[in-house]
Amino acid sequence: MKTIREMLDRSFMLYGKEPAIRYLNKKEVCELHYADIEQKVKAIRAALHAKGYEGKQISLIGESSPEWVETFFGITTGRSAAVPLDVMLPPMEFIDLINRSDSEALFVSPSFEKVLDLIRSSCPKLRDIVLLTPEGIAGFTDGFTEVQDREYCPAASDLAVIIFTSGTTGKSKGVMLSHENLVSNVENVEVEAGPGTTMLSVLPIHHAYCLTCDWIEGFYHGVTVMINDSLLHMAKNMKRFNPDIMLMVPLMIESIGKKIAQAGQGGLPEDPAVIKAIHDKIFGTNLKWIYSGGAALNPYYIRMFRALGVEILQGYGMSECSPVITSNGMTEHKDGTVGRPLANAQIRIVNGEIQVKGSSVMQGYYKMPEETAETLEDGWLHTGDEGNIDEEGYLTITGRTKNLIILSNGENVSPEMIEERFGMNPLISEIVITGEVNGLTARIYPDPDAVEAAGLLEEALRAKLQEAIDASNASEPSYRAITALVIRQNPFRKSTTHKILRRYAAEDQPLQ
Amino acid sequence: MSAANNDRFIELIREYSNTDLEITGEVRFREDLSFSSLDFMSFLGELEDAFDIEIDLERAKNLVTVQDALDYLTELTD
Repeated sequence: MKTIREMLDRSFMLYGKEPAIRYLNKKEVCELHYADIEQKVKAIRAALHAKGYEGKQISLIGESSPEWVETFFGITTGRSAAVPLDVMLPPMEFIDLINRSDSEALFVSPSFEKVLDLIRSSCPKLRDIVLLTPEGIAGFTDGFTEVQDREYCPAASDLAVIIFTSGTTGKSKGVMLSHENLVSNVENVEVEAGPGTTMLSVLPIHHAYCLTCDWIEGFYHGVTVMINDSLLHMAKNMKRFNPDIMLMVPLMIESIGKKIAQAGQGGLPEDPAVIKAIHDKIFGTNLKWIYSGGAALNPYYIRMFRALGVEILQGYGMSECSPVITSNGMTEHKDGTVGRPLANAQIRIVNGEIQVKGSSVMQGYYKMPEETAETLEDGWLHTGDEGNIDEEGYLTITGRTKNLIILSNGENVSPEMIEERFGMNPLISEIVITGEVNGLTARIYPDPDAVEAAGLLEEALRAKLQEAIDASNASEPSYRAITALVIRQNPFRKSTTHKILRRYAAEDQPLQ
Repeated sequence: MSAANNDRFIELIREYSNTDLEITGEVRFREDLSFSSLDFMSFLGELEDAFDIEIDLERAKNLVTVQDALDYLTELTD
């Protein structure tokens, strides 16, 4: 199989009567079978074809929902490309990405109804804006039925998806993934799953990790993917839906770990009945596997969860690799590592940096040839991560070569992008943004002359700097908000070329 | 909000934060109780169940202190 179309046609044929999606509708659990999804996917595809969207980009902004999934597959099983965007972005940011991706249609969550006029006036290329509701989709597909559409099947090398990801400096970059990139990734991840297996999807659907590993992978295997309606309800829905497998980021595992520690009162019991009771209270009755990705995970949690009968399988990837590069497997795994490369990936370590080559490596960054040339060299992707491979072929991540903060919720933050905002503030001489357990910290060395001229004592200075931080946070999604302020007594340590040494940012000593 | 609800609210904070800190209105969820963003989401989910309310995520993003959360909870329960 080389395309999402081939993969999904096969799944529809094999799994038609199996449940594909379970979701909550006003607290009631609803279910759609693969045959139901097939009907909607074909109708959306036919409508897009009839309205001239072949070879075009189509943006999607919304929470995980059956409509989002049906639309995604309706787009990508035809000859259009999907541009999934972060539902948490402020409107001006996703408007920028709609325009930069040259999207000509937008499928959008009803929660954005109030800004539709703003979107229409700011995105001149958009011909259709469709609400991601049953009524919205029905209106768009009304009158369009399945046509003999062999002539507009995608090819393996066709663009399937553009995923925007944060860079180390400046703008976010549109990662271009072809059908072959995505399907070869899905085919090569080792997972034992099939009809009857259930997964609870809790991650943001616009991320490559959730999109590929929950949805495309899930549908490839004929599993039932259940939608978590809100992070407020994740704990409750784990017990309501009782999944067998979940994909998580370390932040989720750490949060659950705290609850386990409280339930076990600091230590884990040995009585199997007590262990089962804690397992079922925290995880639901069936959970056996958690795939962890997006950021580093302390092996302490792997041991903790294992004691309760849940195996955490750490993996490593990035959007630029569709996204899985390495993964621990259900049959073979090694704690403290991120697993072995997928069969379709070659890895080499050059000057400490992990580089990847293979059929899941991206086509490039959309309309960013210089950035593409910096990252892709002779087919080798420069990941910006440092690591080493042991004698058994397991990869361990040891650090970052680039200045990217990876939060434990898997989000990437470019500190320079945020720091630049404070460049014009006369009170700030130097600023470094660092990532801590609970979020981002602004470490500021104030300009002593400016502070003295303004006559500011410590409390007033803190209030002024906090004002500046609040103004910066107002234009960011919550996960990129600065949550702590450290006012330094001394300037930051610098290199011989006067660049701030970030690895010493937490130290506040007089310079020698 | 009733005294019983108030006590239940404080009890839930204690369960989630596992802290000996005195829970006053000025206490901040993130900075003082070390709630991660997800801890806070889970805590709000518990509040929904305990008080049979529906929390607006957009409003929830602005809840920094215990008092902020208590004021919002009072709004939803009164």
